[in-house]
Amino acid sequence: MSGGVSGGVSGEGVPGPAVEPVLDALPGGVAADLDAPTRAVLADPGWKRLHPVTPVLRAWKVVAAVLAVVLGQNVDDILRMDLPGWVLTLSVLGGIVVLALVGAAYSALAWRRTRYRIDNEAGGGAVHVERGILWRQQRRAQLDRLQAVDVVRPLLGRLFGLAELQLEVAGGSGSKVSLAYLKEEEAQRVRNALLAAAAGLVVAEGEDAPEAPQREVVEVPPLRLVTSTLKSGLTLWMVVALVGIGIGCWFAGSLTPLFGSAAAVLGLVSAVWQRFNNGFGFTVADSPDGLRMTHGLVEQRSQTVPPGRVQALRITQPLLWRRSGWWRVEVNVAGYSSESGKSGEQSTTLLPVGTVEELGLVLGIVLPDLATDDRSALDVVRAGLTGTGTDGGFTPVPRQARWLDWISWRRRGYLVTEHAFLSRNGRIVRGLDVVPHARTQSLGLTQGPWQRRLGLASVRLHSTPGKVSPRVDHLAADVAAQLLREQTLRARTARAGSGPERWMTR
Amino acid sequence: MAGADPTPSRTPAAGPRLDTEPFAPRDVVWQRIDPRWATAQRLVGGIVAGVAAVVLGVLAVLVTPWVWLGFVVLVPLWFWDFSWARRQVRAWGYAERDDDLLVVHGILFRTLVVVPYGRLQYVDVEAGPVDRKFGLAKVQLHTASSDTDAAIPGLRPEEAARLRDRLASRGEARLAGL
Repeated sequence: MSGGVSGGVSGEGVPGPAVEPVLDALPGGVAADLDAPTRAVLADPGWKRLHPVTPVLRAWKVVAAVLAVVLGQNVDDILRMDLPGWVLTLSVLGGIVVLALVGAAYSALAWRRTRYRIDNEAGGGAVHVERGILWRQQRRAQLDRLQAVDVVRPLLGRLFGLAELQLEVAGGSGSKVSLAYLKEEEAQRVRNALLAAAAGLVVAEGEDAPEAPQREVVEVPPLRLVTSTLKSGLTLWMVVALVGIGIGCWFAGSLTPLFGSAAAVLGLVSAVWQRFNNGFGFTVADSPDGLRMTHGLVEQRSQTVPPGRVQALRITQPLLWRRSGWWRVEVNVAGYSSESGKSGEQSTTLLPVGTVEELGLVLGIVLPDLATDDRSALDVVRAGLTGTGTDGGFTPVPRQARWLDWISWRRRGYLVTEHAFLSRNGRIVRGLDVVPHARTQSLGLTQGPWQRRLGLASVRLHSTPGKVSPRVDHLAADVAAQLLREQTLRARTARAGSGPERWMTR
Repeated sequence: MAGADPTPSRTPAAGPRLDTEPFAPRDVVWQRIDPRWATAQRLVGGIVAGVAAVVLGVLAVLVTPWVWLGFVVLVPLWFWDFSWARRQVRAWGYAERDDDLLVVHGILFRTLVVVPYGRLQYVDVEAGPVDRKFGLAKVQLHTASSDTDAAIPGLRPEEAARLRDRLASRGEARLAGL
């Protein structure tokens, strides 16, 4: 919060339900000077504005983006013009100032035209957002469809104590509602209000929704994160690429191969960095509002995924993690993956690296129904993690499957519990996909020409878009047909029995 | 399209593999698509092949006669597309059951999709220029999963509209959360 900007018509500054008195109470003549959008915000106390520092942050983003493009493309040309140093410095500085001013003016206009409102009615709350300068947009997001709420604090925002609130309502691509930027406390307050409305809690007029108490379950130590990142497949690929380039350079006697493949190497490096940055300080917590994940080094992200919103889950173990006994968990949450890859990667990790015990704790929160009468969730999953053949009650694929998958056919198999479907696969990178019956969208059965010859078929469970696409390949054809038939029934029964969307009313 | 193809669908002559395991769950009566869709597909294939032939011909005259070899690939491809169109049509089938819709298609790569009505997010009816010429339309089903590859081409527009409305009302009655 910088100095004197905080007063005036900022989001949290509008008091009470009195409508006209707000305008009347202002010192003489001020009300008349206000422009129409400001008057509208003041006149309706339900509407709020984003934080007034928002345009400054946005303007900086514009400057950074344009500079990156211009300098990246044309730095040679500029230097070749042979201008005196001071002319160059002045024109660059001038350019930045002009850009910043234009960016700030545009962002200020956009800020003035943006407002939001949260309705918490008994019949189901909603968020309204209005934005846009030339093309006005009014968006209403139904809160009983709320899939997840993220509070994101980018580096620059943290300097000002600001945060962005992102909510997913699973309406296909571009359905995310983003409120950037709010004061951190305000973002927390809005998040609590949204979750309360989505959960079906009715909060008294004028009161803030209570923050759900959270219980920390897993915290990933930084050292383990570093070690696991170094041992991950990405790093292996990076090393292989670097060695290859080194050999190339040595043979060529020049650095040309290095420059030629710079883009690919940079991509790998940035992916490794992403993973580290994203997993830093990762904590998983349990709360009545569902799963809480807090993580991030430069950009901090605090995610809340309400109960029953995890559509599918994938547990993996790269080759080099085997001795440490570490596992990685990724989830499908409707809406998370319809964004660009970077943001998707950041949101869909449930546990970047964890021991088997931590895995059990996390599974207990996400899929409490996984445990059976005599076995805990972890016991059910354990055979899927490391077993082969019929271990742990899994149905394996027949021997013929080795013609199509000679490495990991022994690992392939599936297990059906009362509430979930588990698909085991991968021998080098071990994997296990888990889908609750109630979350299956549709089912598919496929058979290619080779599979037909061998009497095999594959079953797919269609989940919302994301990292996990559960399937069992190369099952015996009659087993596959039977699985499809039974799974259809199970999904139907589970769907009928699943509670209302508002989890506090269950 | 029972109207256009009145052959009882469980008889072996009705088509290739429509009633072979594992792609025919018990007690399913398949609805067929309009045989004219084969002609429509042949027309589309013919247009594509024609354009490719013109491009190849121009290149062969202007650049190098070696390009004529492209026809060695093009002609068999076109012929394959042409001769398989009928079988492709016979391989398509859909069935409305009490709680879900089944769609089966493909000869070489056979696919069966089960879409529960309660999972339907929306249903599209589409018709391209060639389809319209033949009086055909395609019904495309969408769930919250992008993997759900369930489309029924080669329906007469009125049948497509009826199917769409029926799916919509059944979906509404059984609508579940995600």
